[in-house]
Amino acid sequence: MANTVRLEIVTPAKSFYRGDVELVIARTLSGDEGYMAGHTWGCKLLDIGELWIREAGAEPNVYKLASVGGGFIDIKDTIIIYTDSIEWSKEIDVARAEEEQAKMEEWLRENEATAPDYLVARAKNQIKKSINRKAVAAGGRMNMKNN
Amino acid sequence: MAAESMQDIKRRIRSIGSTEHITNAMKLVSAGKLRKAKAIFERTNENSHYITNAIEELFTNGKDIPEQYLSSEDKFVDRTCYVIITSSKGLCGGFNSNVIKEAERQMMLLGGDSVIFAIGSKGKEYFEKRGYNIFNDYMAPPEEITPREAREIGEPIIDLYNKGEIGRIVMVSTEFVSTMEQRVRTKVLLPFDVEMNPEVGTSKFIEYEPSVEEVFNYLVPKYVEMMIYSAVVESATCEHAARRTAMENATDNAREILGELSLYYNRARQAAITDEIIEIVAGSEAQG
Repeated sequence: MANTVRLEIVTPAKSFYRGDVELVIARTLSGDEGYMAGHTWGCKLLDIGELWIREAGAEPNVYKLASVGGGFIDIKDTIIIYTDSIEWSKEIDVARAEEEQAKMEEWLRENEATAPDYLVARAKNQIKKSINRKAVAAGGRMNMKNN
Repeated sequence: MAAESMQDIKRRIRSIGSTEHITNAMKLVSAGKLRKAKAIFERTNENSHYITNAIEELFTNGKDIPEQYLSSEDKFVDRTCYVIITSSKGLCGGFNSNVIKEAERQMMLLGGDSVIFAIGSKGKEYFEKRGYNIFNDYMAPPEEITPREAREIGEPIIDLYNKGEIGRIVMVSTEFVSTMEQRVRTKVLLPFDVEMNPEVGTSKFIEYEPSVEEVFNYLVPKYVEMMIYSAVVESATCEHAARRTAMENATDNAREILGELSLYYNRARQAAITDEIIEIVAGSEAQG
């Protein structure tokens, strides 16, 4: 069995996940990265993307999959992921993601030219999040088993 | 005369009786709200401590922090933003005035210019009346604050700080010790005072991605938002606890007064009866 490292995932409102894991794969701003026990200390920003967790003692190639809406990861003797929004792939409401995306796209069509930059950026971000949530709900881009 | 004072006392008993009803009901309501607020507070407290501790740890690491977030003598702007967290409702004892007093003390102590971000209308009204510069406020009920709203509070403050319009961010709020005790707390959110914990600075190499600046530009606002968020939640808990205590005291006082009044009432009644008997006796003696 591989070495394990403690992973904590927190959002402002609650503690999302806490457990020992063998491998965490997260999408940083410069691409997907995997972290295992004994990783160099680091502090990295996360992009909107997929999060794969292989829990301690899990079967090879069996991961937990979640969608992350940006945040940061703090890698020390324990790994802490802080994010504003995170959902397990199984709990994603695809219809709602679809709906939100449509709503935001419509808003963009009407207001992109006139609205202030930060609102446009926020809307684009929302669309990106919705697309990501749909992708994660469908099993993600990596070809691994999601448990 | 006796009949009159009896009626007076009766009226007072009635009025204080209804006050007692109200304060007692408010006490029960606050107790319920306190329980709810405390549950939220305990949950967020655990979480936000994770985040703020992780960030504080990075900050105490010192050497990597971009200069703008550190206190330095040479480019200091003598203007402080005070985030003052009070309640929007009264009848909670010294809760609001304690925070306000402490905020005023800090302003005297630190000197310089001040701008105020008022959370809760009590603090806002107080400082507005006295001509302070209120730059923004947040008036919604504090126990329902969401992290997103905290971000909306935090963003403009950080913006001011980054533009160099303010040199310091100080938060005055109430700390929850127990349901019976709350304490006013002052915390300097920015800039960081790294020298406070020199021994924490480790020599371990830390990777920052995409770059140190970007990581901190993300983390520092996050930190301020989280601090504000958890302080508002904590303050809401304190408010209910303070109100509960205040209402309990009011109810106790009312009951005490009621006891006294009913004693006076009985005395007055007794006196009236005695008077009547004396009259009857005097009358029958005069006849006999």
